[in-house]
Amino acid sequence: MSNFAPWKILHIDLSEDIPELNLEPHYQGIYAVFWWRGIPLGDRQIFASQLPLPASALRNLAIEAITPAIGDRLLENGFKAPLPVVYPDPAWDKPPDLQALLALQQPLQQLQQTYAQPVNNSISIVICTRNRPEQLARCLRSLLNLSQPPQQIIVVDNAPQDETTRGIVAQIPQVQYILEPTPGLSRARNTGIRHATGEIIAFTDDDVEVHPDWCVRLQQAFINPQVLAVTGLMLPAELETEAQYIFHQGSGGSAWDYRAINYDRQFFANMQHRGVPVWRIGAGANMAFRRQAFELVGYFDERLGAGASGCSEDSEMWYRILAEGGICRYEPTSVVFHYHRRDITAFKSQAYQYMRGHVAALLIQFANYQHWGNLRRLCLTLPKYYVASILRSLKHGFAPRYSSVFTEILGCVSGIQFYLNNRKKPAWSIPVNNSQSPTQSNLQNSQLITSSIKPGN
Amino acid sequence: MPYKIKEIELTKPLPDISLSPDETGMALIVRRNDKPVGFVIQQFPVKSLIYSEEIAQLIAKEIGSKLIQEYLQEEIKPIINLALFPSLTIAICTKDRPDNLARCLHSLKELLQQALELDVLVIDNAPSDDRTQKLVGSLPWVRYVREPKPGLDFARNKALQSAKGEFLAFLDDDVVVDRRWLTGLITAWQENPDAAAFTGLVLPYELETEAQILFEQRGGFRRGFQKIRYGQILPGNPLHPCGAGIFGAGCNMAFRREVLLKIGGFDEALDTGAPLPGGGDLDIFYRVIRAGYTLVYEPEYLVFHQHRREYEKLQRQYWSWGLGFMAFVIKAYQTDPPQRSKLRALIWWWVKYQLKQLRDSWRGNHVLPINMILAEMWGGIVGFFGEYPRSMKRIETIRRQFS
Repeated sequence: MSNFAPWKILHIDLSEDIPELNLEPHYQGIYAVFWWRGIPLGDRQIFASQLPLPASALRNLAIEAITPAIGDRLLENGFKAPLPVVYPDPAWDKPPDLQALLALQQPLQQLQQTYAQPVNNSISIVICTRNRPEQLARCLRSLLNLSQPPQQIIVVDNAPQDETTRGIVAQIPQVQYILEPTPGLSRARNTGIRHATGEIIAFTDDDVEVHPDWCVRLQQAFINPQVLAVTGLMLPAELETEAQYIFHQGSGGSAWDYRAINYDRQFFANMQHRGVPVWRIGAGANMAFRRQAFELVGYFDERLGAGASGCSEDSEMWYRILAEGGICRYEPTSVVFHYHRRDITAFKSQAYQYMRGHVAALLIQFANYQHWGNLRRLCLTLPKYYVASILRSLKHGFAPRYSSVFTEILGCVSGIQFYLNNRKKPAWSIPVNNSQSPTQSNLQNSQLITSSIKPGN
Repeated sequence: MPYKIKEIELTKPLPDISLSPDETGMALIVRRNDKPVGFVIQQFPVKSLIYSEEIAQLIAKEIGSKLIQEYLQEEIKPIINLALFPSLTIAICTKDRPDNLARCLHSLKELLQQALELDVLVIDNAPSDDRTQKLVGSLPWVRYVREPKPGLDFARNKALQSAKGEFLAFLDDDVVVDRRWLTGLITAWQENPDAAAFTGLVLPYELETEAQILFEQRGGFRRGFQKIRYGQILPGNPLHPCGAGIFGAGCNMAFRREVLLKIGGFDEALDTGAPLPGGGDLDIFYRVIRAGYTLVYEPEYLVFHQHRREYEKLQRQYWSWGLGFMAFVIKAYQTDPPQRSKLRALIWWWVKYQLKQLRDSWRGNHVLPINMILAEMWGGIVGFFGEYPRSMKRIETIRRQFS
């Protein structure tokens, strides 16, 4: 029996009165997220033994937590988030310029102004769902609260068992219902893309609630024409069970920092020889693409993703975008709240699916580009990692958080098998009613080429 | 040899700084609107002329985060706290150093005019003459108390008995307080009205000799410019609260007097002058936290400390750090069984740390020469093997002598 106690999640807007934090029975602490008028800036875990915490002490804690994000948004140097693996050393970032620092009066006001600019592109939202009407309804409710209504909201009902989802969507006139009878998340997403009319296509899952500014912040992140994909911050909606907490900890790290990151050609080139860590770029539950991206590099690979290999259809897409010279931007001001799976069995099966999809994606990436780093990761890095994990598990007597090692290894093996069985299948089905003629791209980036990737083989 | 110490005010244009023919480096105390926000120490060739652009670069590297935090402090709605600061006693324990004491009192006098009724107390510890008494006699705003039993913690406990204030701040006689010292203490208290103890930043008063520069280059007493709240746990520090030395220094600390009384005051077997000149501050900070209270470090609560000028005395200071540290660890081990596993880990950490320092120094990658590190190690070894029990016996003798 695990003695896990849940964490209370508390959102604190620093433009309002800051509360005094008190001990909450049966919580092991407070996971405080600090905002300034809808802009997320930092978080801190405050343990029960640090409570009660006076408001002014909490204010100091918040100021310390949000400083890197403020510096990153308002200064050129000195506060850049390290790119995963490439620059694990924070010293890669040059120190700030003193004059620029001194000119930073009222940083929060300045920050708010930079995010007050109107957006000049249109956006379609695609939610793929399967037999989870209650969660979908919650998600759709949050989408109706968006600060600026999107051009289009599409629900793709993927191989449903019944008509419940159709019924829910029918009650909301702003939402368009599309049926995709063939199961598979990638396939459903591709169907969504074909029906989308916006210049930007954003994806989220049915198990999230979105922040009112989610869409606008995504749209703003596409200002730079070289940015073809944007991911955002995924905050936990609840941390009530151990599985949720493990998932939250595992998805933490620089990718869920409050500073923006541009993954570009240089990042790709630096990491190509050892396997580009594209999975660190973000999560499928909070991502968006410029429509041209699909015309340039193709659609989601239908062999990947839930309902097929398991996952990694999102990261494999980012891989192609980076390989063709586009930029993937992580924009943490675009926020969704994710309901992580509550029980540990589901968590383990997720770990299995995750590795299965990951390995299949490595092989597909290798097949597409002959980048040997993918195989190096599969044949050297992962085995090394799992040997170390098993040794660690032996030492710790297979505690819950290490218990998924064997499940993961099985997932890897199954991923290889999956790839071998499916390597001949086309990556995506040829669209029926889409002309597929390359629209005149307004990207100035001449290196973007479409030829190296072909649907299927 | 000496380093130039220079104050920089960020709201004014940065100056060019020229070093005189004997100066081999400089230390900058950086302020913004008078509030200390950064400290930079750097070696330079003699007669260097350091242009403002270079100074800007040096400073920017140090104060980026702190400066943003200053802006945020101004921008995010402050918590309005109308309560006045409670009464404060400032105690200075001294022994035969009237010149130092006079300088310290002089720096306090400036604060006196700022407001508040301050109760300033000088504890004359086993003096060999009446110079201290005469000095205090000439200052009507200072109270004089004598503690005949030699030992700093005897003197501190005497201060605890004689103090009138709800708060009790301690200063050593070899410091001068910054003009923002009191503001810093009040700020720390307003932000943490529940805290029982406060420590502050200690910067060098002068950098005139090799020993003083060495000491400061190795970090000195500095604890940085970030506010820290030490509670029952410190995220990211599994040894907390045993990781002694992180909390601050005894030359600049303040307490709620009732809390000090409740936990039994200072341990008189530590800080006993020549035989065991340290550990008392480590022990009191540790016990405050172990009794369930919060300790706050506030950089604006700032003093300038005159470091040991002589090389031999610096070596002795490192020795006494090792000695006092281990004496404290052994005492805590004996008196606080629930913390034993942490204290064992702390001892191992210390051994590894010393060996690493030794290796770095051997290879020439450490600011300290090997003999200084060996001194600290040797102090630690002596401290480990029975220094605390020996000290207990010594102070028993002293107590009998004076009863």
